This record gives sequence, structure tokens and C-alpha cells, in this order.
Amino acid sequence: MIEFQNVVKRFPDGFTAVKGLNLKVHEGEITVFIGPSGCGKTTSMRMVNRLLSISEGKILVEGRDNKDFPAEELRRKIGYAIQQIGLFPHFTVLDNIAVVPRLLGWDETRIRKRVDELLDLVGLDPDVNRDKYPRQLSGGQQQRVGVARALGADPPIMLMDEPFGAIDPITREVLQEEFLQIQKEIGKTIIFVTHDIDEAIKMGDRIAILRDGLLEQYDTPDNILAHPKDRFVRDFVGSDRSLKRLGLVRVHELMDTEKVPSVRIRDTVEKAEQVIKEHNVRSAFVVDDDGELRGWVDLDGIRHSPKSLLDAMTEADYHEIGVRKNNTAREALSAMVARSFRITPVVDKSGRLLGSITLKALQDLAEQGWGDEEGNGS
Amino acid sequence: MNRIAMLGGLIAGLGFFFLPILNLKPNRLASGTSFNLLEFQGDDRYLMLFLLALIPIVLSFRNDAESRGWMLVGSGSLLFLLTLILPAGAGANLLLDPEAYLGEGAFIRNPRILPSGGMVLGLLGAYVTIFAGVRDLARAEVQMWVQAIATWVAPLIAIGLLVNGSFDVYSILVEFYANGAALEQKFVEHLMFVFISLGVGFVVGVGLGLWASRDERVAPVILYAVGIIQTIPSLALFGVLLVPLARLGDRAFLPTLGFFGVSLAIALVIGVSYVLLADREPARLKIVHLLATAITATVPLALFVGVFVSFLFRLANVGFTSGAYDSTTTTIFGLLAAALVTWIVGRWFVKPDGFLRTWLRRANWLLSGATTVAVIVLFVQAAGNSRVLGTVDSVSTLTIRDLGVSGIGVAPALIALTLYSLLPLVRNTYAGLNNVDPAIIDSGRGMGMTPSQRFFQIELPLAFPVIMAGVRNAGVALVGIGTVATVIGAGGLGDFVIQGIVNTSIDQILLGAIPAIALALVLDATLRGLEGIFTSPGIKQVQS
Repeated sequence: MIEFQNVVKRFPDGFTAVKGLNLKVHEGEITVFIGPSGCGKTTSMRMVNRLLSISEGKILVEGRDNKDFPAEELRRKIGYAIQQIGLFPHFTVLDNIAVVPRLLGWDETRIRKRVDELLDLVGLDPDVNRDKYPRQLSGGQQQRVGVARALGADPPIMLMDEPFGAIDPITREVLQEEFLQIQKEIGKTIIFVTHDIDEAIKMGDRIAILRDGLLEQYDTPDNILAHPKDRFVRDFVGSDRSLKRLGLVRVHELMDTEKVPSVRIRDTVEKAEQVIKEHNVRSAFVVDDDGELRGWVDLDGIRHSPKSLLDAMTEADYHEIGVRKNNTAREALSAMVARSFRITPVVDKSGRLLGSITLKALQDLAEQGWGDEEGNGS
Repeated sequence: MNRIAMLGGLIAGLGFFFLPILNLKPNRLASGTSFNLLEFQGDDRYLMLFLLALIPIVLSFRNDAESRGWMLVGSGSLLFLLTLILPAGAGANLLLDPEAYLGEGAFIRNPRILPSGGMVLGLLGAYVTIFAGVRDLARAEVQMWVQAIATWVAPLIAIGLLVNGSFDVYSILVEFYANGAALEQKFVEHLMFVFISLGVGFVVGVGLGLWASRDERVAPVILYAVGIIQTIPSLALFGVLLVPLARLGDRAFLPTLGFFGVSLAIALVIGVSYVLLADREPARLKIVHLLATAITATVPLALFVGVFVSFLFRLANVGFTSGAYDSTTTTIFGLLAAALVTWIVGRWFVKPDGFLRTWLRRANWLLSGATTVAVIVLFVQAAGNSRVLGTVDSVSTLTIRDLGVSGIGVAPALIALTLYSLLPLVRNTYAGLNNVDPAIIDSGRGMGMTPSQRFFQIELPLAFPVIMAGVRNAGVALVGIGTVATVIGAGGLGDFVIQGIVNTSIDQILLGAIPAIALALVLDATLRGLEGIFTSPGIKQVQS
């Protein structure tokens, strides 16, 4: 879809920002360019739609050298969103989103339809927002309009330069989630520039780590976290990369659905004791007839009320002791550490017990990368 | 408590008490006798003014804003009108028997009544009171249009009375009736000064501002140069232009045309070579090259602008002041106006996306093109029209002076005024364009707008309010500086002012000054209005 072939960028003052970049951006994926400032990530991105000229080498866009297109025509086919948003303050929201469609000469009815569609897509009510001016919108709303504008003429490719950079952390999280949802629908080929490794891991299907104008490592987030190529990448992704890696995995991928220490609420105390010993855990989960998690029982409880399981168990709300199957492993870990559990039940949204996840499983996952690396490195 | 209303009452009351309200002059030149309000004995009506001045002071202690506002507007308006009307009556009485008041030996010829300090402070106090009242109304959230009516009712009635002849006794109106025809002519001349120099200054100034904003190296040079011009006293600038323009005026037309052609060709060669070679030249050579381009281009440009504008003025002046609205002249200006309107309509009303876009755009190009061609044809035709130019037999004997260029008169005035208009225009254009957020331009580029689309759809609309502020500055300043043009025989409202100073006749000075002030205010308001209409609501400053 987009291919960098030995791309070099030298500026007139002699500074070489990109020193022979070779990289293939895959169709329908978000490829994140990341690296310390001055690494050439933005420069590389800006050469794709020829906002910067290419000194040597070439960039193929949809299989053709991007110099074969007239610059303006090329840019109209590539969505463009930047950190400062750059909405035109004297244009209404509609006019802003309609910029590229109008440059392409769409007729007005089609443009209006498209604008409404896009406003819906980015979660802004068209009837309320269509005729507003940018200054009447909050920062987050402006950024949504910025994304809608980049999608204006439905370009197959998008370039996004820290598009959520200027927004407060909470709104940024929301916008990131929303954008991932949108991307699921639209499946654009996206180059996404950021300097925030957490954002890169969250947003990227692939991450290209650049350093001094060269490609340091190009891989999926998981592989980069698990197998950082060298010290630079390791330092760059941070000492908490194991934790970051847990952020990529959902609980349902890790949970154990077979060896779950659970008893039914009508079971006997003896059964509970047996389950606890069998699984070698401190406590067993208690579920009702519908399979809903009602609490837990441990050996202490059994000793105090050896007659009835109902008396022996500790009732608890499933919100308090369980994690949801869609939580990330990182969230599960922090929940377990906070509650000092070594095993925690996994529930669905109505509280039914689906399985369990152990601290050990999380630990193993986190350590995978380290282990391999030590094997390679020494 | 309304302190402003109290201030208004105090201004008017103290003015009435301490300062004379009228001055009776035995003739146009001699100083006369002043009269205080209290001196009009036996007529209690004049005491009413004192009482009216007390009312706002008393009212200022009231607490309910709305009723206080209405009462202040009412009493202020009444005070305003009576301050004009009552002394007019008294003045008329004085004029019935001036000898009785002026004493023995006064040379009485066309005696006249001059409004004095008391009346000025009375009007000022009255207006401050009205203003205080309108503020109260605004605080009470009375509707905007009601506030506007409250503000303007007294001045409008006063204007009505003025037109009706109720204030004819005042000396300035005596002067106006004596010089009415001359005033009209001088006013039109003044208007022409302002519009022509503002028009040329606009083209040159916005052009220079644009250049400065595009090229960081020339920006300081241009800004510095127009800044220097501003520091030269206007009188000195007129004087400096005297000699070269006189010399230029002596030259025959055709050789000058040849000189113009040659220097234009030289400038073009150097300019084009700069554009082509600049990227490959070492930095120092590039600057020399750039300077050479600028200098060689200046000569033909200045020549062309100077001669063309003088000629245009000549045409207009002949047309307007001879009373014979020469058909060619009016057609030229009509077409220029039409071209301007079409252009504006094309650019702003017909947005690039608007209804019937393509056809309106084509029509716009067609109209602009046609009017431009027509203007050029008429210009050439008029150049050969001996009636406009005076007695010229053929083009071969034509001198530059025949086209209106000479050391004194309109040409140097227009050139100097144009130069003066440059600073605000260049500075504001530069600032306006430079302050456009680079991120906005970058996203325009990134979305595939061409340079001209970026300029007309983004940069110009965003810089527009700032550029218009420069136009307003320049326009208002030109109305003022234009009065100095009289000293080199260019005419305009300054004629009255200078004559008035020479004759120590305040009436004559005011006859020139008041229309100039009115012109400046109207021009400012009109340009503000245009600015408001053409500025997108998305970038309008919130008025406080």
C-alpha cells in the first residue's frame, strides 16, 4: 500500500533527517512511527503526501511512485490530521469537513450527506454541530472534527501526526478507543506518528521505531515488547515493558476455564474443602444455580461453620472480587495486587463465572520476553 | 448611584456658570464681546439651562437603573437641544441691535454670533448625560435598538433643526452659506485625495505587505522603509517632491513613455533572472540581486503610478469641479466601481461551494475581464481628449505636466498621501498574514489546496479584519493629512483651514475642520461596517 524504498531526506541546511528508510506499510493497518524527537518520524510521514520532497529513493503509494501524481491530487487522496488540528476557524464544521470533497468537486447534496455521516461516525450530533464554528467546540470535539475532516473524501490512506497529542489524558483515552472502533469499521491504511510509547502500543497494528533517521525495529507491538532488538529499543519501550505487554492481552485469552476452584451454593462443606485442597488454593469461588458468582469460601470459614456452606462462605459482589473477560491482563494484575489475590474469578457482564486467572499465569506472560532475551543476550 | 451622570451635569453646569456662552463679533475678523448666560437679564428661560444641568446630578442618586436611565436620556436630550436652541434665540436678539452691546467705535459689518466655551461644555455635558442614561438602559437589558434610538434622538433632532435653518444665526453657518459652493468643491477634492491615495496605497501597501510576509529577508527592509516615510513631516515630504516632479513635468510625454518602457524592460530582465537563478546563487549575491530587482522596478513603477494617478485625478477633478460630468470620466469610474463590486461579489458572496458556483464564477471572470478592457480603452481615449487635458494639439507636443504632474498641485499631494498610507497598510497586511496559525496553513496544504486556494480561502479571510483595520487607520489619517495638501496648492478642505488661520477667522477654520472630522468619522464607520459584513462569525472579536 505504502512502501518506502531507500528514502533519504536532506534539508537545505545539510541536516539529514532520514537516512535510507525501507519499510512497507500494510493495507488496512495502523502503522505507528515512533522515536525520540529528531528521529525523522514526522519527516518520513510528510514525504508520503509530498509535503516534503524526497531527496533520494522513492515512496510507492498504491504501487505507484508518489512523484507520478500531481502533488495536490496526491494529497486529496490521503487524509491528513495533525496535532494542532488546524481546523479553519472561519469555516463552520460542515465547511471544514467538506474541504477535500469540494476540492474534488463533489455536488452539494452528496457533501452534506457525507458530512452528516462522518459527524455521526465520530460521535457528534450533525444537527447540533454542523453549523458551529470551531471556537464553539471543546478541544476533544475539535479533534473529532479534525478526524472527520481527514476522512472527508473517504481516502484509502491517512496520515496522522500525533492527532491526540494536544488533548487532556482522559479525553485522549476516549478518543483513542473511539478511533480504534472507527478503524474497525473503515479499515484505512494509516501512518500514525507519536512519541508516546503507550499510545503506540495501544493504537498500532505495527510499530516502526526510528532513531537518527534509521529504522531501528519494525514489528507488532507484542513482538517489540517481547523481543526488543537492542538496548535502544529496550530503553525506549521502557523498563515497564512487561507490564505494557500485559496491556495488550485480554483476560479471556489467559483465563483457565477448566481447572476453576468453584463450588455450587448447595454443595456440602466437605465438597468445598475437597475442591480447595484439590486445586491447592486458599479459597474456592461460590456460584448459585444460575452460575452467578456469589462469594468465596476458605478453610477458616469451614472450620468456624463446619455444617453449612451458606454459613461458611463469605458473600461478595462479583464486581468486587472478579475481573471481566474483556479487561486487559494488566488491569487484572492491578486488581489482584490491590486485593492480594493469587487467583481471581473471571465473570461476564451479568456476573456469571466463566473461569479464573492466576497471578502465576500473568507472571509467566510478563516474563516470557525477558527469558528469551536473556537466552539470546548472554 | 451613577457617577457618569453626575459628571455630565457638573460639566454642563460649571460650563454655563463660568464660561461665556456666546460671542458677538462686529465683523468676520475682529474679536467681539462675550456673553455669559446670566447676562441675559429679564429672560428667565436661560435659567432653565442651569436647572436642566442640575437634573442629572440629582438623578444620579436614584437607584433603579431603568427609570433612572430613561430620565437621564430625557433630561440629557432636552439639555442638548436647548443648549443649541436658546442661545440661538438670544443671539438673534443681539444681532437686532449690535451697537448697543459692542459699544462705541466698533466696526460693524456682517456682525455674527460665535458659540463659546459655555455652549461647548453644555453640549458635552448633555451628551455625557445621555451616554450615562444609555448605559443604565443597557444594564437594565433594554433592547439594543431602543438603546440606539435613545442615543441618537437628540443629535438627529438637532440635525433636523440645522437643516430647517434654526441655527442659521451661528457664525459657522453664516460662513457656510457664504461659501457653500466652494465647500462642496473642496469636499469633493478632499474625498478624491483620500480615495485615490487610499486606493493606490492599498494596492501598493497590501502588495508590499504580502511580499514581506512571503520573504523573511525583505520583510525588515520593507517595514523599515515605510516606517521611515512615516517619520518625515508631511510638509517636508511635499517640499521634497517639489523639484523632481517639476522636472518630470517639463519632460515631453513620448520620450518619457520610451524611458518608462526601457526601464520596465530592464527591471523585468533583472526580476525574472532573480526568480530563475536565486536558488543557485550564494546568499550574498542573492541579496544584491534582490536589491537590484527592487531598485530597478521602483523607477518605472513610481513613474507609472505617479503619472497614471495624477491623470486619473485630473480626469476626476475636471469632471467634478467643472460641473460638467464628462461622460468618459464618469464611465471610467463607473466601470472601476463595477469591476470592484464584481470582484468582491465573486470572492466573498459566491463561496467556492455556493449555489450555481460554476456559472457565477465564469460570469465573474467575464465581467471583471470586460470591465478591465473597457477601462483601458476609455483611458487611452481620454488621453487623447483635448477637452479634458486643456489645449493640446497633438500627442507629440504633450508634456507630462499636461497629464497633471507638476511640482505643486495635486500630483505631489497624491504621492505624499499615498506614501503616508503605506505604513498601516503594509504593517497590518504583514501582521495579518503572518499571524495566521501555521498549523492551519499546513493542514490546508496537507489536504491538497493549491497555493492560490490557500491564499484566497484561508489566509486572506483570516487576515482580512487586520488588513481592514489598517485600511481604516490609513483612511482616517489621510483625511487629516489631506488638509495639509493645501500648502502646495492642491486644494481640499485644508484651503479653508489655512485661510482661516491667515485671517484669524475661527469660522473659516471650522468650515474646513468640521466636514473633515465628519468625513473621518463616516469613513471609519463605513469601513467598520464592511469589515463586519465580510468577516466570518467564526473569527469575529467578541465586542465588549
